[in-house]
Amino acid sequence: MTYIDLWLALPLGILCAGILLLLLLGPLFPGRYGTTIAMVTLALALLWTLQTPPALLAPTLHLAATPLGRLFSSIFLLLAMAPLLLGHDHNGRHRIVGEEYPATILFATFGALVLASATNLLLLFLGLEALTFAFYILTALDRHNPLSAEAGLKYLLPGAVAAAFLSFGMALLYAGSGTLALSPTLSPIGPFAPILLAGWGMVILGISFKLSLAPLHLWTPDVYEGGPAPAIAFLATASKGGAFLALLMLLMATNALPALRPVLWGLSLFSMVAGTLGAVAQENIRRLLAYSAVVQMGYLLIPLLTGSRSGYIASTFYLFLYLAMVLAPFAIITTLATERPLVTLSDLRGLGFRRPLLAAVLALSLLALAGIPPTAGFMGKLILFRTALAQGEMTLAMVGIIASIVSAWYYMRVVVSLYLQDSEGETIPPTATFAEGVVFGTAALLILGLGLYPAPLLQLLQEIFTS
Amino acid sequence: MLNSLPILTLLLLLPLVGALLLLPFWRHEAVCRWIALATALAESAVAWWIFARASELPTTRLPGYFLLEEQPWLPSLGISYQLAMDGISLLLVLLTTLITLAAIVVSWRQIQRRQPLHLFFILTMASAITGVFLAQDLILFYLFWEVMLLPMLFLIGLWGHGRHRYSAIKFFLITLAGSLLMLLAIIGIHLVHLQSSGVATFSLPLLIGTPIPRSLALWLFAGFFIAFAIKVPLFPLHTWLPDAHTDAPTAGSVILAGLLLKTGAYGLIRIAYPLFPQAAQSLAPLVYLLALVGIIYGSWIAFAQEDMKRLIAYSSIGHMGFVALGIAAWTPVSISGSVIQMANHGVTTGALFVLVGMLDERGHSRRIADYGGVWQRAPILSALFLLFAMSSVGLPGLNSFVGEFLVLVGSFRAMPLAVVIAGIGLVLPLIYMTRLVKEILFCTGTQTNILPDANPREMLLLSLLVMANLYVGLHPRPFLDLIHLPMALLTTTGVQP
Repeated sequence: MTYIDLWLALPLGILCAGILLLLLLGPLFPGRYGTTIAMVTLALALLWTLQTPPALLAPTLHLAATPLGRLFSSIFLLLAMAPLLLGHDHNGRHRIVGEEYPATILFATFGALVLASATNLLLLFLGLEALTFAFYILTALDRHNPLSAEAGLKYLLPGAVAAAFLSFGMALLYAGSGTLALSPTLSPIGPFAPILLAGWGMVILGISFKLSLAPLHLWTPDVYEGGPAPAIAFLATASKGGAFLALLMLLMATNALPALRPVLWGLSLFSMVAGTLGAVAQENIRRLLAYSAVVQMGYLLIPLLTGSRSGYIASTFYLFLYLAMVLAPFAIITTLATERPLVTLSDLRGLGFRRPLLAAVLALSLLALAGIPPTAGFMGKLILFRTALAQGEMTLAMVGIIASIVSAWYYMRVVVSLYLQDSEGETIPPTATFAEGVVFGTAALLILGLGLYPAPLLQLLQEIFTS
Repeated sequence: MLNSLPILTLLLLLPLVGALLLLPFWRHEAVCRWIALATALAESAVAWWIFARASELPTTRLPGYFLLEEQPWLPSLGISYQLAMDGISLLLVLLTTLITLAAIVVSWRQIQRRQPLHLFFILTMASAITGVFLAQDLILFYLFWEVMLLPMLFLIGLWGHGRHRYSAIKFFLITLAGSLLMLLAIIGIHLVHLQSSGVATFSLPLLIGTPIPRSLALWLFAGFFIAFAIKVPLFPLHTWLPDAHTDAPTAGSVILAGLLLKTGAYGLIRIAYPLFPQAAQSLAPLVYLLALVGIIYGSWIAFAQEDMKRLIAYSSIGHMGFVALGIAAWTPVSISGSVIQMANHGVTTGALFVLVGMLDERGHSRRIADYGGVWQRAPILSALFLLFAMSSVGLPGLNSFVGEFLVLVGSFRAMPLAVVIAGIGLVLPLIYMTRLVKEILFCTGTQTNILPDANPREMLLLSLLVMANLYVGLHPRPFLDLIHLPMALLTTTGVQP
């Protein structure tokens, strides 16, 4: 344990201290300081992460603060604030009590930060699984809602199998290459290395589950539908971000991409097709967003599988925009989820004129997901498809464009419900709290801002991936 | 002095600013109406001021363009904020201001529900369409091209009649599908240029002249062509138009017919043909065919319509067929005719939709059979209806004659057979328009509603449209001079016949 070890591990230490404090103070002051402590913890960890000098390696802990890892860490820490802000009011309404909600969110963030600073397969696995494990709990946290328990179980059981595949795959990689380190020397695939190929196959299988790539996406709609809305807002962003980061780190550390490309190609294609087919007829906006996530992850894979620097930049850029685009609708679903967690399209009818701001942000984020300018979704898709075509991925780009055309249909159905149909029931839609407004307001500003002026973020990513 | 002001940005943003100004006065409909009207008038003033000064302006570094503004936007990809104006753009911007004004005035009393929102969408629409006519960067162009769809979706969906929700979605999805194919083609030409010259750019003037392998050029051209042909609309891609026009509120129909269709033809002239001259040349027979089918088919179907708006909608397909014919021939005279015809069709059909809207407001029906003998009860309205109907038919002295004549003359040397067939198409509007005029204005019908004649507001609006009509009809010279230079540049640097 050296000074540098401490220095680099301090954000993790801060998070740990925060979790302990939360769990200790919880019984003494039930339901009073949970959110505040968690927010302060996240803010402190964020500050420390931002000021950590890059490219340091902790000699004994094997943690590294690479520019990419720092960027992702900061984004995870920021994302973790969203469920806390969203959860405060929502959990009161849904009788989710106790300090385990903020503590579990901090624990998920802890896992994400470990993942972002991992330098070997072991830490990568631990970080990713800690992150996912926290989500098993968060999904099932709404004990008064049977759907939540069902969702938790449906997530846990296949998730455990996926984790087993992931760990076994990593063991095979270790057996084949003799190292656990995530460095470019990892797994030099020769002309014939079946053990490594088997290892990579299992690793990709495990990560595909977490990214909801078809055909391993079947848990997504149920979990998105059943879980508490703020937790799903976090799941849909941080867990996708974490799994993406893990895949990115693995791909950047290997020269096995030519061998893996057909698999990733098929996963991308199948995700776009299966997600689109699932989404077209959805009446429930949560399930719609789940299938749309499958499609979007399919898009995300297109530039990634080209294995080029511009491809990594394009998919990371799109991921960041996607996080904002999917956070906003779930923030609004949180507001709308009063007594029951379902939000069907007919529930949204006429919302456009009864709650103009909520409806406008929801419509904006759906238009962004559909890739309509001047939103961020358009810029993301432009750069994504440009990279795909530049790298010769003609087929996937064509399928992606067709999936986009169809996606306009299912996203517009929601917009039509919001604005062009009058409400049937007499129920008065709830209003957003200030904290909820902060979350979806920030997301909406990002969607518009990055759509109109994406140059700084793109510049940052270019610098990060050049080093 | 004109070049030091960011006047194109002003032109672009003025309606948008007007739209945003409506927000604080959301609950005061009268205030909103006047703000919208003032914005439209200011926009017209700027556009006409440029028109008055256009001949004195020095040319910019882009040949033919007298105004140019550019700023880097996303430099790493070569995307820039680049606006430029030449004669074609100016003519269409003038049309945009006129049609926007008409759309605002015509919904003055007609729209009862959520009028501020209605005006908001008209103004944002005006901004987006102006952007389409000014953008020189293809990504910027694409942005305006897509943004233009949303206000129209809401205009039809919120204030339309009949199956308005269906029509709105159909319009949106069909045009969006075309646009996304165009996006692929835009990226394609960008990458081809990047490979051949090493410069990443989306700027149209730089991309023109990029050497493209023939087979690829056909695919890329198809991407642009389909997107534009949907908007024009050319024959098999026109199915959204009758629904959208019929079910839209009057302002929506006016903007659709007056402006939206023009963006398609403008895209063909400005982008698709100059970028891919060889591909365009090899597909010319197809374009001739589609144009002729459109001319005959549109008129043919128009004859059988019982709904006035639907009749005029189908007549638009026929008239836009002439525009497509002029583009297919691609001679300076024929494209001049096409551009003039675009402006004329905007004014004439816009005016006809305005008049049908006024009749609908009074008689609460758009069925031809429900009217008759309108001349006796509302002579001024009827006289103007007759005037615009005659203009639509192409009576010499009124505006449509100029455009159609130039198209036919310009195309004759390139493709005599097509001109002969189109000549037949020139007669068909006479049949259905005569029927429309006869049954509505003269026959005694069953309609017993009181039909008050035009009020001062309507008179003002219609006289403006009449002036525009007669100006182009009797003295087209200033407008032809305006587009002369860009036409010459387009046809010499573009397709080699």
